[in-house]
Amino acid sequence: MKLQVGRNELLSALSAVIGVVERRQTLPVLSNFLLDLRDDELVVTGTDLEIELEARARVQNLAPGRATVPARKLFDICRGLPEGAEISLEVGGDKALLKSGRSRYSLSCLKADEFPALGRVTDGRELSMAQAQLRSLIERTQFAMAQQDVRYYLNGTLLEVDAGRVRAVATDGHRLALSEATLETGISERIQVIVPRKAILELQRLLDSTDEPAKVRISATQIEVDLDVVRLTTKLIDGRFPDYERVVPESGDKKLQADREMVKRALARTAILSNEKFRGVRLTIDGSKLSLQTHNPEHEEAEEDLEVGYEGGPIEIGFNVNYLLDALGALNSEQFVMELKNADSSGLIHALDDESSKYVVMPMRL
Amino acid sequence: MIRVLPDTLVNQIAAGEVVERPAAVVKELVENSLDAGARAVEVEIEQGGAGLIRIRDDGKGIAADELSLALTRHATSKIGSFDDLERVATLGFRGEALPSILSVSRLKLVSRTADAEHAWELGGAGHIDGAVPRPAAHPFGTMIEVRDLFFNTPARRKFLKTEATEFRQIQQAVSRIALSRFDVGFALRHNGRRVFDLVPAAGDEGRLSRIREICGDEFVTQSTAIDESRLGMRLHGWIGLPSFARPQADLQYIYVNGRLIRDRLLAFALKRAFADVMHSTHHPAYVVYLEVDPASVDVNVHPQKTEVRFREARQVHDLLFGAVHQLLRRLRPEPERHHQIQLAAEPMPDVVPGFVAPSGGASVSVWRQTARLDLREPSANRYAAPRTSESPGASLWQPPKPAPISESSAEIAATPAADARPLGTPLAQVHGIYILAQNDHGLVLIDAHAGHERVLYERLKQQLEEGGVPAQALLVPEVVTMAEDEADALEAQHEQLRRYGLEFDRSGPGSILVRAVPPLLGRDAVATLLRELVGDEVRRDSDTHFGEALDAQHRVLADVACKSAIKAHRRLTIAEMDALLRDMERTDLAGQCNHGRPTWMQITLAELDRLFLRGR
Repeated sequence: MKLQVGRNELLSALSAVIGVVERRQTLPVLSNFLLDLRDDELVVTGTDLEIELEARARVQNLAPGRATVPARKLFDICRGLPEGAEISLEVGGDKALLKSGRSRYSLSCLKADEFPALGRVTDGRELSMAQAQLRSLIERTQFAMAQQDVRYYLNGTLLEVDAGRVRAVATDGHRLALSEATLETGISERIQVIVPRKAILELQRLLDSTDEPAKVRISATQIEVDLDVVRLTTKLIDGRFPDYERVVPESGDKKLQADREMVKRALARTAILSNEKFRGVRLTIDGSKLSLQTHNPEHEEAEEDLEVGYEGGPIEIGFNVNYLLDALGALNSEQFVMELKNADSSGLIHALDDESSKYVVMPMRL
Repeated sequence: MIRVLPDTLVNQIAAGEVVERPAAVVKELVENSLDAGARAVEVEIEQGGAGLIRIRDDGKGIAADELSLALTRHATSKIGSFDDLERVATLGFRGEALPSILSVSRLKLVSRTADAEHAWELGGAGHIDGAVPRPAAHPFGTMIEVRDLFFNTPARRKFLKTEATEFRQIQQAVSRIALSRFDVGFALRHNGRRVFDLVPAAGDEGRLSRIREICGDEFVTQSTAIDESRLGMRLHGWIGLPSFARPQADLQYIYVNGRLIRDRLLAFALKRAFADVMHSTHHPAYVVYLEVDPASVDVNVHPQKTEVRFREARQVHDLLFGAVHQLLRRLRPEPERHHQIQLAAEPMPDVVPGFVAPSGGASVSVWRQTARLDLREPSANRYAAPRTSESPGASLWQPPKPAPISESSAEIAATPAADARPLGTPLAQVHGIYILAQNDHGLVLIDAHAGHERVLYERLKQQLEEGGVPAQALLVPEVVTMAEDEADALEAQHEQLRRYGLEFDRSGPGSILVRAVPPLLGRDAVATLLRELVGDEVRRDSDTHFGEALDAQHRVLADVACKSAIKAHRRLTIAEMDALLRDMERTDLAGQCNHGRPTWMQITLAELDRLFLRGR
């Protein structure tokens, strides 16, 4: 295998894939990239056995072949080479020789046949949506995913596909984020799959905000997202996601409407003096006044009064301030609405006149 | 065909429970001696008890016409009615031991009461059918000889361990009893060799020397006395300092009304008291005596009587946990005490005459208080001195000195007083890990991370208790399934657990619906906590919550403290080190970090002198 390629072209392919390669490995081949050279294309593959990322670079093919090379080392070398440098890479036996100008690197390779391939999704159903749409779904929900929870099915995002919409739902058991995009999917019956946390975060990194298509193929065990030059394949989490629709409350009798940025900033300020561990904030709403109160074990206190629009009787309710900040941060409207019922029931946050993204936050008894 | 079993067989079956090994025989017989009012008990063993067990006492003896009755099942002089059983104060009462032992050995019983002209003896192998007492020669008291134990139950005999192991068990059994009756002398011989000879212990010195003989010298120097009374119960004895952590739970003696008990509740309370200062793989050492109203404790739970059941389990737990926990918290860095902790040197008042009354923690703490007062006295005098020297007349022509200055100078003179800073003045940092300080006694080495960790941990715990525990509601209530009685137990603790941030409903006979959890605890921790709350029989029997919900959150705080404490290789200025040492002196349990590691060590001048061969 021998090829000639521009540094930038190669680097963009490598950096698309490097995220999936874990730094610590017990299986040596997993810290390598698989390089597959055919025609004038180099296909770079990285995997952690759950997720497989594949990126393509245009190269000058001098001798086709397959090889695996140490992923992070190759990536770091390319990154360190000057912009616009020409790279030649030649693999023979168990060594890969990389040359650029007056630099020479010899890397040790492992057999290409040892590289575990996840396999393509062939039998699945397919839909296509704009990258921007998929990205928005992920951005507006990913923060609510659980992390290393024993309820493994929460360590990911539920993707739900219906004929006329795609929904993303994430929850860690204390709050829930839901976002939906309206589009003709061409899929008649509902599909629900749970995409693992790491794949969601990788996707968010790979997707851009254009109308370029993202082709999504879903089978019973895998999902594949094809972005033309990059393709992500991941195993799905095999489990039952909680019945999220039961958790999203009917609209409450108390409705607060306020400037999102204003409330977010006030919350961020008061959060400074909340208990570092519990992050509790007390919301007191009476008439058009919203008061935020926090205090910490050092007996420091913060209090902010805000002018808001409010329908309903006075209420006092506690929340984890991070949950509120996350939800407000994920919205991008100017005004938001928070619906409440009582101090023991969940709060519902969404944009004014737009319920495509909704956030359910459970209260905290302070 | 159903038939009534012959007595011998019934006794052999009972023997299976009561006398499982030679040590159990020794225990039963020695207890009988004590119940007979013996002042001296001699135990002679051959071949680890398999050959011979001979117990001789100077108790009140058994009358000739009662000898054969003594060897009959359910015959006892100790109780006579159910009311007696309700308030058992003797060690034995079931009337099972002697017939059981007889049924599996060649037994000889010789006894002489005070009013008998001579002794009588009765014996048999396996049974005494038809045997009648014969006259014998023996001083006042009783002698029981048990030969060839398990001669007729070969299976059991085969299960005996080596001679050394069996004898160790016997020695332990006698030791346990000896620790409960300081007023009785005990002698133990094995194959003719003297093992120990414990004279009746009078006064604290005697008691301590017996403790030393049985528990070792180190325990005596590394322990502190305790004495607490509450709600008609009294706890006294000795508690090993946290630094005396043991890899095995081999030095734990709990006596309830003079009876050695191996009770989960009691051991649990003591373990909890030590939880914060001892690594979970280590065990505390203690010799403690609990005295409660005999009517409030049921000893007839277990054939060997090592388990008891308390009417007021919660109060007993609280007394043990509270007293020991408080004692540990009261410990302050006191270098001179760490090296002079000879309890024997302290003249202590005899609190309960005749019984094991190591006058306890109270006197130690009083002593400590007076020591502190003594230190302040000179400074107070110094402070007062200039004022008294100013006669009223003098003040007429001399403007009074500005008080603040004289006051502050007096205080400055007072601060270096020896024990105001037991951890000393910091000198330097060693390799970025240890603080080297000097106090009156010599050098002090402090592990800065461990010390800081403890300071933070205690602060966090205090904050949690002051601020109350919030409850974070769950989006989807979580169903936890468990046995019905477990769910009952949990439900009974509902209100107490709510205070610690755990909210749940009963959703079925065997299921609990968790609605809110303390924000400090992760999912796993909550699940573990629930299991802990119901998983233990002790807890299921009583509707009480012993603070596990708080303990679980403390474990998280311990982790937080560990992560936020200064790390190794952090350069500290003298002022920072000084602040840390003073913080440690003010902090409870500062002698150990959260994981039970020591935080500081004292190296005395004498030790340094020895090292450099000075003054020899």
